[in-house]
Amino acid sequence: MFSFILRRLGVMVLTMFALTVVVFFLVNLEPNLKKLAITQTESRATEEQLESWLTRNGYRQNFFVRYGQWLGVMPKQPNIDPATGEAVPRFRFCDEPSEAAYSGLLQGEFGCSTKFRVSVAERLFPALGATGILMFWVMAVMVPISLLIGVLAGMREGTRTDRTLSMASITTTATPEYVSGVIFTVIFASWLGWLNGSAASATNTGITFSNFTLPVMTMAIYGIGYIARMTRASMVEVMTQQYIRTARLKGLSFSSVVIKHALRNALIAPFTVIMLQFPWLLTGVVIVETMFRYQGFGYALVEGAANNDIDLLLGCSLISVFVVLFTQLISDIGYAYLNPRIRVQ
Amino acid sequence: MTFFKNNGNKVPDHIHAAAEQVKAGGLDRREFLALASVFGASAAMAYGMIGLPTPARAQDAEPTKGGVLKVQMFIKAPKDPRLADWTEIANTMRQSLEALVYYTPEYTFEPYLLESWEVNEDATEYVMKLRPEAVWTNGDPLTAEHLMFNLTRWCDKSVEGNSMVARMGTLVDQETGKIREGAATIVDDHTVKVTLTEPDISFIPNLADYPCLVVHPTFDEDGSDFTRNKIGTGPFQLESFAVGERVVYKRREDGKWWGGEVMLDGCEFIDYGTDPSAAVNAFESGEVHANYETTPDYLDIMDGLGLERNEAVTSITIVARTNVTNKPYDDQRVRNALQLGVDNAVVMQLGVDNAGVVGENHHVAPIHPEYVELPKVPRDVEKAKALLAEAGAADFEHELISSDEDWHKNTGDAIAAQLRDAGIKIKRTVLPGSTFWNDWTKYPYSLTNWTMRPLGVQVLALAYRSGEAWNETGWSNKEFDEKLAKALSIVDPEERKTVMGDVEKILQDSGIIILPYWRKVYNHYQPVVHNYIQHPMQQVNLGKVWLEEA
Amino acid sequence: MQLEYLGITGIVLGVLKQFWPVWLALGLVLVVSLTFKKRLGLYGHLFDSGVGVTGILICLFWLFTAMFASVIVTFDPLAQVAIMKGALPGAVDPQSGAAYLFGGDRLARDIFSRMVYGSRIVLIIAPAATAFALMVGTTLGLPAGYYGGRIDSVLSFLANLVLAFPVILLFYLLVTPGIMDTPIPYTLAAVFFLFPIVFFAVLFYTRFKTRPERLYPLLGLTFVLGAWIYAGLVFDADPLDLISISPNQLNIFVAVVFASSPGVFRIVRGLVMDIKTRDYVAAAQTRGETPWYIMLWEILPNARGPLIVDACLRIGYTTILLGTLGYFGLGLAPESPDWGTSIKEASRLLRAQIHPALPPTIALMSFVLGLNLLADALREQSMKD
Repeated sequence: MFSFILRRLGVMVLTMFALTVVVFFLVNLEPNLKKLAITQTESRATEEQLESWLTRNGYRQNFFVRYGQWLGVMPKQPNIDPATGEAVPRFRFCDEPSEAAYSGLLQGEFGCSTKFRVSVAERLFPALGATGILMFWVMAVMVPISLLIGVLAGMREGTRTDRTLSMASITTTATPEYVSGVIFTVIFASWLGWLNGSAASATNTGITFSNFTLPVMTMAIYGIGYIARMTRASMVEVMTQQYIRTARLKGLSFSSVVIKHALRNALIAPFTVIMLQFPWLLTGVVIVETMFRYQGFGYALVEGAANNDIDLLLGCSLISVFVVLFTQLISDIGYAYLNPRIRVQ
Repeated sequence: MTFFKNNGNKVPDHIHAAAEQVKAGGLDRREFLALASVFGASAAMAYGMIGLPTPARAQDAEPTKGGVLKVQMFIKAPKDPRLADWTEIANTMRQSLEALVYYTPEYTFEPYLLESWEVNEDATEYVMKLRPEAVWTNGDPLTAEHLMFNLTRWCDKSVEGNSMVARMGTLVDQETGKIREGAATIVDDHTVKVTLTEPDISFIPNLADYPCLVVHPTFDEDGSDFTRNKIGTGPFQLESFAVGERVVYKRREDGKWWGGEVMLDGCEFIDYGTDPSAAVNAFESGEVHANYETTPDYLDIMDGLGLERNEAVTSITIVARTNVTNKPYDDQRVRNALQLGVDNAVVMQLGVDNAGVVGENHHVAPIHPEYVELPKVPRDVEKAKALLAEAGAADFEHELISSDEDWHKNTGDAIAAQLRDAGIKIKRTVLPGSTFWNDWTKYPYSLTNWTMRPLGVQVLALAYRSGEAWNETGWSNKEFDEKLAKALSIVDPEERKTVMGDVEKILQDSGIIILPYWRKVYNHYQPVVHNYIQHPMQQVNLGKVWLEEA
Repeated sequence: MQLEYLGITGIVLGVLKQFWPVWLALGLVLVVSLTFKKRLGLYGHLFDSGVGVTGILICLFWLFTAMFASVIVTFDPLAQVAIMKGALPGAVDPQSGAAYLFGGDRLARDIFSRMVYGSRIVLIIAPAATAFALMVGTTLGLPAGYYGGRIDSVLSFLANLVLAFPVILLFYLLVTPGIMDTPIPYTLAAVFFLFPIVFFAVLFYTRFKTRPERLYPLLGLTFVLGAWIYAGLVFDADPLDLISISPNQLNIFVAVVFASSPGVFRIVRGLVMDIKTRDYVAAAQTRGETPWYIMLWEILPNARGPLIVDACLRIGYTTILLGTLGYFGLGLAPESPDWGTSIKEASRLLRAQIHPALPPTIALMSFVLGLNLLADALREQSMKD
């Protein structure tokens, strides 16, 4: 078990490495670097000015040198002031030092966000916190509802309840966030006026029922159908098992059979599905946060991408790889733990 | 040489002559006011000269102290003010860093950090006197040294994206890329004299532009970053700055603003993103008191919330320009055909919901002092087709490029639809704002927005003269250059008009731009807010604003 | 000027009338399908369940709408009639006398016509991109599952890499306009579009290598067709000028294939690992068949059930993905009538006007729903087999 986890962690590190190289390559494409230079100088700056900015700030160094600097195996160089010839910090707003120093990922430095003008850590971790709150509420809504629907539908296969609930689940999986978000906003914000159609104030003045319900609802709905269908399938399978029939034949009531015997076994499969929902939530988060303007991870990612904020994007990719692979690991371990028949090799 | 001091109530003779013309109806009132103020008339005198009372700024109630004003506005990353390419960027700093000159909503120029300025008759020498009572938040008094420091910064060509260089004109030594030796001299503690090599009537108007904010001499030591070096002369001092979220100011602690007592305890700018419905929600839930700008399609909704509306006519515009170095735009017939295929009024209706004044495909606005009205050229699809066929470009598929900003995009879509309707093949490409400006001067056919400039000659000089850095059309016309150069040196507006008529006509005939409209801008505020105005250049100064309930 | 409006009945009747070619085609298909139900295999069985019928009807509805879009629409989807700006549903254009059935959007375009034309964009890109993703995923998934070992480790690692990539970031980096100046989209396209050719070539070769008289025509056909399409798509140099794709669409296409291939890969790999333990595979191995013959002719046909179901779901997913791209303003032109872009446009003004938002959202939702229902019914049926 221990070596299994160790190996998976190794793969995770390797994936992170490979992915950051790819992202680093993409963000350093010429058009993207230009985009960065423009956002950092002036939108109508000339070609020479952009070039001079890029050179001065070290973006014209060798690709591998720069990746090494980000990683922390090469020293980051300060800028040289052309007037005085003195070394000055590269990005003052991140308190970068004015001498060459190793300050990369390995030293725990995520770098400097050129868009938000703070260090990546200072921007990204609060954003993750905000997204964490959103995710928590989404999970808190999504998991119980979907399990309930799935169990109710799968308990008695083929009945009217089953068909209605299954149909409803399929419908929600066919409704991506940007569709349901629009529909919900129309109904609850425009027509009824009950809820706030924007979560912008959640960042500033705190989360309220009015500004947080729509984002949570929008995200939860898309996932509910999927988990519910998985639960239903699992439940249907369990209900046909021998031991359930035996229990029924022993004269136990239907409800107690379901609660005492079927549920535990039926919930193993959905557990994996729920864990594997996290990566999907990450994508959903981007759409929902953009749509409702909630300042979390997804919002930071979109803003970073739109402004080619190199260090921020690398940070975002690291985090998402970590979330994806870590939840996979948890789901594998959890599956093995819940289902004694499976042993991890 | 006679100098004319602003607010000195002594003006050159041509100004007196101009006043007579206004009374006789020969000159627009607005253009007169702008010009008279540059040449030394106070607002009261300028209005007096044309026989009008000075408009009283509404003082409906006794100001009360206290309260924090919250304004909805985009919060972009702060930049060195001289690099600011968005009015919003300057606005986030403007509450602490201040301009030398203020362009008033009445279209006149007022000294701001300057106490006064003097200009000689042919506009080559300017004497600028600072307010002796202006004090930095760190206690330093504002001196002529500081002004010199700022002039030097503005003239520094080596700083990438320094947009003040173009505004400083002949103050910059083109060879060294720095301020010209001896061009600016310190006269006394609070006075600086600037000598230009060519007459420049736009020097003072340029000082009222948004990137022209005066910073403390230690500014560059902190990486030219306002969030690190917060020393300013303004009514507020910066508390915190979070890009994309909010900027918080509080009233300056020493209470030494030259403008007098500051009523607000503080002010905040809050970012609600690009979606205007978020702003509606913010108003509804009382999260903000005012907004930076209301897009025209949201005017009615905002009005419906019981908010007060401000509006201002501007010379903010967008042009669909061809670059004549690309085929088939080297052919004037093609360019004229594009103009003829478009009904500017419809573009204005669809692009900005009729919030503006229809343009005439040349870059001088009716609010500019030197505007000459040209005969209208109506849409003529048949003629457009004939011209294209003649030029052999009837089957050419045009590609109209624009940035993704809402009104740019809609205007582009409307122009494209008009052309398509006229039987001209056209496809649209929209690039994100961050990418669009990569090559903005090089696209064969694209849309470029231009901000408000008080004088009509300013944009002409920047964008349509041969070989200018911002000449995005690649167009070069000797006659135009000569006439414009002449216009730039003529101080008397009426005399300038005689040249301007030709300048406008040459530009219009060349067909290089479709200028569909001049925008009107709007904002909204809660009735409890007082003195919150719509500035024609969208500058937000909150020093005099106060809140009723507090 | 005052606009005239149709009543609700007028709108409903108008819409029903405009869709007449679709009703006709649907009717024909239904009659034919029900008549020959018994002989239509899996497809025929779909008509046994309500879910299946609904799924088929919805999918066919959009398919026919896309096919007959030019007949159905009442206006040019890009034309702007200034007076109809933001007009409510049923407003009558005073000039042509025709009605904006679902009203006008902010740029005075007919929402109904845009929705109908939008189906065309979605129904061309989504199935085609899914087909390519299936090809790529299958071609790589087969050896990974069959051989296992190092090939599997490397390919799985790559697949997981792409899957771990946040989709939106991937699109932001791959579908920016600037990237079209670089060779990346073309290189990716060149690689992806090679897969179908390789796939079919190997498919025919393994089967007919002892029968040259069948092999050569088939291989020839594969290469000629492949090279033709390849030239048209990748180099935009189709000699016949039939196949061409704008750089923008190529870019989107490539990005979507790139993002969804690893999913297919994983499924195929899993299926192969399951099926390769079966007896008939062992039998083929003892017969001395080549590995690729076994993969393509023994394993793949037996994996087709789950793959068809997955393809259905995946087209729906790709549709959602396309919408996401439109929603973030990536790739397609902003005046493009595709559903995602329309939703984005309309959602900005929800507070002012609701009607422009509803048609594209409902269209997108119903199409994906149709595909999901179809997939569900297919799954039920294939489980019965």
